Parts: sequence; C-alpha cells; structure tokens
Amino acid sequence: MPHAVRRNSATAVADGLGFGLGLRHQHYQEIADAPGKVDWFEALSENYMAPGGRPLYWLDRLRRDYPVVLHGVSLSIGAVDPLDMSYLAALKALAQRVEPRWMSDHLCFTGHAGVNLHDLLPLPYTEEALAHVVERVQRVQDFLGRRMLLENVSSYVRYSDSQLSEWDFLVAVAERADCDILLDVNNIYVSAFNHEFDARAYLAAIPPARVRQIHLAGHLNCGTHIIDTHDHPVIDNVWSLYGEAIRRFGMVPTMIERDDNIPPYAELLAELDHARHVAAQALSAPAEVAA
Amino acid sequence: MTALARLQAEFRAWMQQAPVAPPDRRTSVEVPGEAIAPDALRARVLDTRKADREILLGVYREAYALRLIEALQTDYPGLLALVGPDDFDTMARAYIAAHPSHHPSVRWFGRDVAAFLAATPPFSDTPAAAEMARFEWALGEAFDAADAEPLTFDDVVALPPDAWTTLRLSFVPSLRRLTLRHQVPQAWLQRDSCEPGDLDVPPAVDPDNPVGRPGVEWLIWRTAPDADTQFRSTEADEAWMLDAARGGMAFPDLCDGLSAFAPAGEETTEAWAAQRAAGLLRAWVDAGCIVAADAT
Repeated sequence: MPHAVRRNSATAVADGLGFGLGLRHQHYQEIADAPGKVDWFEALSENYMAPGGRPLYWLDRLRRDYPVVLHGVSLSIGAVDPLDMSYLAALKALAQRVEPRWMSDHLCFTGHAGVNLHDLLPLPYTEEALAHVVERVQRVQDFLGRRMLLENVSSYVRYSDSQLSEWDFLVAVAERADCDILLDVNNIYVSAFNHEFDARAYLAAIPPARVRQIHLAGHLNCGTHIIDTHDHPVIDNVWSLYGEAIRRFGMVPTMIERDDNIPPYAELLAELDHARHVAAQALSAPAEVAA
Repeated sequence: MTALARLQAEFRAWMQQAPVAPPDRRTSVEVPGEAIAPDALRARVLDTRKADREILLGVYREAYALRLIEALQTDYPGLLALVGPDDFDTMARAYIAAHPSHHPSVRWFGRDVAAFLAATPPFSDTPAAAEMARFEWALGEAFDAADAEPLTFDDVVALPPDAWTTLRLSFVPSLRRLTLRHQVPQAWLQRDSCEPGDLDVPPAVDPDNPVGRPGVEWLIWRTAPDADTQFRSTEADEAWMLDAARGGMAFPDLCDGLSAFAPAGEETTEAWAAQRAAGLLRAWVDAGCIVAADAT
C-alpha cells in the first residue's frame, strides 16, 4: 500500500509531541503555575468558538508555552445535512488564531435536519455511507487547507445495514479521503466489548502511517455493555491495549481525555506518567507488553 | 430518501421522543413526504448476546436528555436553586422538547429558556423564574463576549474641549442592561448558600402596581478578558442615559435629556443635568464600561 511509507522519519520526529492532556478550565491556573509537566494540550474546539472572554484568554496564554491541537465534536462528518459552513468558518478562524499542530473530529454524525443531538452517533458501515463521508472529508480538508484527523467513536449499537467492519470502514475513509486517524484506544476497547469483536484485530487492520494521535480515557462498565463516560481513570485492559498500539504504531502522540468527574491536575499528571511508562515498556520490550 | 438519510431520521426520532415524553405522548418525526415513527430505529439495530437493543439504544436516549439538562444546570445555577432539582428537571425536559438544539455548540442551547419560562404554563406562574433565567443568560453572554480595551479616565481628560460638543460613547461588547421586577441578582449571590429549591427571590417593586415602576434597572459587564463579570443596579436616569448613549446620542443631547430627571425643586436643571452626566460618565469609565469616546 503506498501510504505505508508516506510518513518518513522526519515527519515522525516533527509529530513527536509526546504525552498530552485535554485542556480543561479547572486546571488553567495550575498548568500556568507548573509549566513543563505536560508536553502538549488538546483543546475542544467548540469551547473556544466564543467572541472573547476567559476561555480564549487562557488558550492564548497557554498556547505561548505549549503545542496545541484542536479537537471538535460538531463537524458531523457523516450527517446527511449539508456541511455547516458557518461552523467551518469559525473553526478555520480559531485555527488561524491558535495555529494547532493538527485538527481532529469524529467519524460519526451528530444531528439531523438541523437538530444537533450533541452525541457521537455511529454510522452504518455501508458503501453509501463511505462514499458520503469521503466526499465530505475532502471538502472539509479543502476548506480548512489541511489534512484532518478522524477519530473512531465508542458505539453501543450495531446496524443490520452494515456491510463492512468498523475498522475496514475507518481505513477506507482515511485512504480514499486522504485523511489521518486519531485512534482512540479506549473506544476500540469499549466497542469491542459492546459488539464482541477482537480489539487486537482492529489494531492490526489500521495502517501505521495514518495514525497521528492516540486517545486514552476511562469508561463505565455496566456488565452487559460499556459506556464511554470519560469520568474514570484508564483501566488496566486499556493500558494493555495501548501497549499493543504503541508496539504497532510507534511512539504516536498520546493524550488522556477526562470530561467529567475532573480530578486534581496532579492525578492526571500521574496517569500521564503511567502512559509514558507503558509506552516505554512497549517500545523496549516489543514481545511482551505489560500494563 | 436514501438509506443513510432514513437511518439518521430514525435516530433523531428515537432521540427526541423518549427522554421528554412518556410513551403515550410520543409523536413521529416528520420528514419530507413521510412520518418516521418514534421507535422505527429499533428494527435496524441488532441485539448482542449480552444486551437487548432496547437497553443499548437507551444509552443514547438517556445521554441526550442528561447532557442537555446538565448544560442547562451549568448555565442556570440560580434557577436550579430557586425551583429545586425536580422542578428543574421537569422544566428542562419540557424545554428540550420545545427548543431542540440548532447550534453546533451546547453553549447556546439554553438561549431561549427565559422566554420559554415566561410564556409556558405552569412555569409562567413563577415570574421570578423567567427573570432569573434572563439574568443568568445575560451573565453568560457577558462572560464570553468580545474583548475590548476600556478607556481610562486619563483618556477622557485628554479630550480637547471642543470634542465634548459632538462626543459619542462606545461601550464594552459585554455590557447588558436588564429591568427586573424581583430581587434576582441579590438572590443569585445566595445560590450556593441554601438547599436547592429554597432560594427566596422576593419582589423588588410593588407587584400590585406595575405602572408605578416597571422594575429595577441593572447593568452587567466584564472588562478584561479574564475578569469576573460584574453587575450593579442603576437609577432610572442612568438607565435612560446609557440606552441613549448606546443608541448613538451625542453628549450634549444626553445632558439635555437628563434634565427631565432633575429632582423636584432643582432650580437649575441644566447645571444639574451636566453635573449628573459627567458623574455617570466618570462612573462608567472607572468601571471599565467605555471603550471609545469619539468626537467625529
């Protein structure tokens, strides 16, 4: 596959951001007071699409000291609604202000007929959906003037309409639209549990050259299904899967998402140190990956 | 309609019905040419060995309501303290049904709450609730309004004397003015000091005499990008002058207009008005409310 050698070593070094955290307002001051503990931050685009005020103040301030990437939740790349060009214009303006290393959103749809359902809803993995998404990714990338990263979502339902596996769908979108992948290892674990597929087969299907960022997060196991809540620490099984991912994809920039039950900054720093440890172990002992 | 479009219409129908309406009150979603039944999506979703599709689809349905309710709780803590969690939940679910989100960011979802509460029984029976929502939404607007560098008193002093004959004022974009018939801002400050539902919001003016005084005038504004939002009450003459100044009236005309507010018995109303206008201007400058004074 030609893409497998697309990224040369120089690009990999340029992307080598290391270990990041999601930027959350609860931690703004501590981040400023204790510089250097985190290599980079991921900012949620929609939180900063305001005319002014404290969120943008802090983003501008921290941006001076840290690389930042932008992560959106409202692109709705798989929706049948027309692309929201005012949203895209605001996103582009934010990118011009922040100069993020890259921008990402999710492989899903978030609304229908003008109603935003504010959730990452799974697409049917069909040829129709694939063609639809590919065409829209290309238009978005043309508009933004940069390659996007699309993230695999956690899902709780599977459609009888689907013809492809989730990973084949994701890879086909990336290949045909020439976009990159934000691989959420926790989401793979969650969806593998919910839909009873092999998470390691998922990893094995993803071309390493497309993976530019990894997400880690905690979840809520309800016994019969797992909900992707981002309100707990990362569990051991996900650490183990993360080690597998690093072994396959190399030292991809990795960050931990926490969106609810936000702990003290020091707790997240400790969890991020654990990510460093797991990644280092995976790279030094490729045959044996421990959590 | 394509298969993909039908699936998405069915998902919307599923999401929009159940969290806000009991089963006997669910309605279909209308799409061009047909109606999508509220539970149509169930037919295309697979059970797993561990969970029935109803449970799995329910994850989305519940999350839809809870996410939007949480957004409203974030925007309206004073309203929550006033009405309590149960009534807030009822109100929020009714609002979700009446005002689905049309904005990419959940930040703007609650923008119509005050109007909804004022116009919708039984919530309209508690007028303080709509006023609290109006106040809290204005605080939120001020919080992330566009930034601007306020004028200093030295900037005003440096104006040439003849500038005052044509002077027009520009205000910080965050500035909001409200007229409130209840002691909403005072109560809002107490929102964390009482059990949810116990916040008392007494009338600020005689509720039986709406003609006598429409309400108390309030200003809301923010200065520096990272500054806290501020608010204070005003007198009627200040509210008038502020509205007129924001409407573009020149300073001498503001002084003339203020004459109408001169206290009874004041013999030199013009001198009083000029002094009052200068005093209000100083107060606005000191508070960081003014960004420009143009003599063009």
